[in-house]
Amino acid sequence: MADLRPILLVEDNLKDIELTLAALAKCQLANDIVVARDGAEALDYLYCRGQYQDRPPGDPAVVLLDLKLPKVDGLEVLAKLKTDGLTRAVPVVMLTSSREESDLVRSYELGVNAFVVKPVDFNAFFEAIQGLGMFWGVLNETPPRSVPAPRLERKT
Amino acid sequence: MVSAALTSDLNLDLCAQEPIRTPGSIQPHGMLVVVDPLNRCIVQASANAKALLGRDRGSSVLGLSLAELVGESAEDQIHGWLANPDSSYLRTLDVNGRRLQVLRHQTPQGIILEFEQPPASEGETLEAYYPRVGRFMEDLPAYENVAELCSAAAREFRQISGFNRVLIYRFDEQWNGEVLAEDGDGVLPSYAGLRFPATDIPAQARELYRLNRLRVIPDANYTPVPMEPSLHPADGKPLDLSFAALRSVSPVHLQYMRNMGTLASMSISVLVDDRLWGLVSCHNATPRRVNAQARTACDLLGKVLSQHIGARDRGAYAARRIDVKRIESELLARIAANDSFQSGLAANANIWLKIADATGAAVLHDDTLFTAGVTPAPDRLRALAEQLQQRTADHFVTDSLVRQWPEFEDIVDVASGVLAISISQLHPSYILWFRPEVQRTVLWAGDPSAARQEENERLTPRHSFASWKERVKNRALPWSQAELDGALEFRNAIINFVLRRAEERAELTSQLQRSNRELESFSYSVSHDLRAPFRHIVGYTQLLRDRERSLSEQSQHYLDSINEAAASAGQLVDDLLAFSQLGRTALSMGPVDMHKVVQEIVRSVEPDVRNRQIEWRIQSLPPATGDAALLRQALFNIIDNALKYSRDRSPAVIEIVGEQRPNESIYIVRDNGVGFDMAYAHKLFGVFQRLHRMEDFAGTGIGLALTQRIVERHGGWIEARGAIDRGAEFRFGIPRQGDNVDG
Repeated sequence: MADLRPILLVEDNLKDIELTLAALAKCQLANDIVVARDGAEALDYLYCRGQYQDRPPGDPAVVLLDLKLPKVDGLEVLAKLKTDGLTRAVPVVMLTSSREESDLVRSYELGVNAFVVKPVDFNAFFEAIQGLGMFWGVLNETPPRSVPAPRLERKT
Repeated sequence: MVSAALTSDLNLDLCAQEPIRTPGSIQPHGMLVVVDPLNRCIVQASANAKALLGRDRGSSVLGLSLAELVGESAEDQIHGWLANPDSSYLRTLDVNGRRLQVLRHQTPQGIILEFEQPPASEGETLEAYYPRVGRFMEDLPAYENVAELCSAAAREFRQISGFNRVLIYRFDEQWNGEVLAEDGDGVLPSYAGLRFPATDIPAQARELYRLNRLRVIPDANYTPVPMEPSLHPADGKPLDLSFAALRSVSPVHLQYMRNMGTLASMSISVLVDDRLWGLVSCHNATPRRVNAQARTACDLLGKVLSQHIGARDRGAYAARRIDVKRIESELLARIAANDSFQSGLAANANIWLKIADATGAAVLHDDTLFTAGVTPAPDRLRALAEQLQQRTADHFVTDSLVRQWPEFEDIVDVASGVLAISISQLHPSYILWFRPEVQRTVLWAGDPSAARQEENERLTPRHSFASWKERVKNRALPWSQAELDGALEFRNAIINFVLRRAEERAELTSQLQRSNRELESFSYSVSHDLRAPFRHIVGYTQLLRDRERSLSEQSQHYLDSINEAAASAGQLVDDLLAFSQLGRTALSMGPVDMHKVVQEIVRSVEPDVRNRQIEWRIQSLPPATGDAALLRQALFNIIDNALKYSRDRSPAVIEIVGEQRPNESIYIVRDNGVGFDMAYAHKLFGVFQRLHRMEDFAGTGIGLALTQRIVERHGGWIEARGAIDRGAEFRFGIPRQGDNVDG
């Protein structure tokens, strides 16, 4: 059993945040849910800087990443995480409205762990979110937490 | 050299190689000396030149000064005359007591002076000829055509020269001479209307005639007078006599004259635009001298005739050019209104033919062939285009196609004359005009083919000048220069037209690409932003329902309706996006086991139809080549349709069969459902087209449009049959090879 690390939800749309949180709450996950409102904030969290510089160290269990985001978009966040040896192991799930094949292809090229198109149907959406939360938040084993010290020295 | 040639078998080929410019001798009716321009001494002279000295001087003129040769007074006059090169060509001088006509011209080898004793009959003075020439010039504009003009000129030449017969003939493209006019006193036979074969005047002689316009031979039986020394002392070469009036002519030519029964001749070149247009040929049965004044008058007359013929030719050319230009402008204006220049030409066949005054025309371009009038068959046209492609020239013109390429003998009747312009350097693209064979009879003065065959006979070139009839075959009326130039201009216009169209197409393509990109970014936005609100509506209704357990039945119904509406709107967006993406996504081709695909589809729909009685009749299906996911989608939509429209049947019978044809695989899905009215069959595959009310059969109206799009992207076809309440049948074909697929 994995220890309960937080789930990082990166989503700019308040309604989507509310619905996603409702869905995650429904399956009574014990994980904390951290919400970042854009790509820059997500990177701040992941690299423990800005408003997150004092957060407890450790990677999230999973990053649920929307594609279209203000400032730094989802593909850029993904590219950043997957090209950095320290963050490459963090599971990233694209959770998006896009059915664009090019986005899908690009995401997999960048090393995404899963690509989920949000279903319109709420039940399906709930099931998807719950499944994601359960799998990535609880069942999936991630590599041991990295030592935070070298990360603090990193320049980005 | 001349002496050697006299003893050998003479023929016209030999004549063609003779050194006619440097014969080494002159005719005996005058004397010739070459004067060194620096020291005025005689360096070369004809063997008879010592006669100039009078009775009791030395035996040779070589090395003498000009003054010593001709006397102080004549030398003085010649000296003044040489200083003024613009003055007249001819003087009559008193040379050591004799009145001699003197001609001079400058050559790199020295000043050549020629002395001629005037004929016994002094004739008229030069001035006396001018009124005659003047009247002739005044009458010129009245003559209708070149033949009439030449007839009048022939009369005039004979009056001035006093020869028995004057012929004026014109060269054709092959240098055969056609007698246009004749004037004679009956002593010599008439040659009117005859032709002289090109071999009669070798190319080098024609070139000499072009440079030196007037030649005289007073007596064909003359004995040549050699030059002494035979080679010029300074350069060691024989003297160039190209411009000498006394130049000795080829013995072959003298034989030719004797064969013709003409012992004296004078010929004057007619030059048009510096090209040898024809000859004025004067003959006498007996030896005859023509005084220098008469020769000068004839030379002037020849120039007048040349200029007038040139002016008429240019006038005719300009008139035809204007005519062609007018027709061409009209044609181009009409072509511009057409999609392609080929169809523009074809739609205006009469004007197209008129440009080149042709009876047939064809255009070959981009694998299309259009014709007008009477033309060879398409395969012969293509063969001709291939032949033309071997050449790199931008045009081709002939009045006898078989003379160029004998393999086209089968089309001489319609295409003896061909005028072709190339409109592409890369592909065999041509516009061609055709003229039919026009058979005519030509009278030859002597058999032109025999002229080359009488090698064993010494008395070449000609025994008989009796006319010889030849039927000219495989010939069309020749294309005029104006028509050729007009065609070349037309070629430029067409090439510009093609280029402009290509630019327009390129512009259109880039516009399409731009709007396509805009459309892509639009649908990208739609896929993100339009789906989200529907998802939110559905989500919040669900949350509300979960939260408020005590909603009234009415409220519950409203919530359900909101939910349904948003869900179907979301589905619509999804379907639309799938449809638009299909046009942009590349197919991933491969072999597809369609039988497996159908089994998988049936398994996937079974949970939804658990409560229905369905009788599946599935036969083994042939494999297909295509994009597996898309073909599955196409089949799924049809099967889903069949299930939907047969839901009131019990049992619903869904039949899925296939057929393997040589070039395609066919798949058929039949149901026993509500069917449709064939009158609306064409609407089945349109986006958002529905043949049933929404509340009867739910759906976005995109499924079949999507299926059709998929099938068409595979290069296949789809069709539907049905009748109301009697079921429907959908069948589609996918090509077996993937070659017709738009990738």
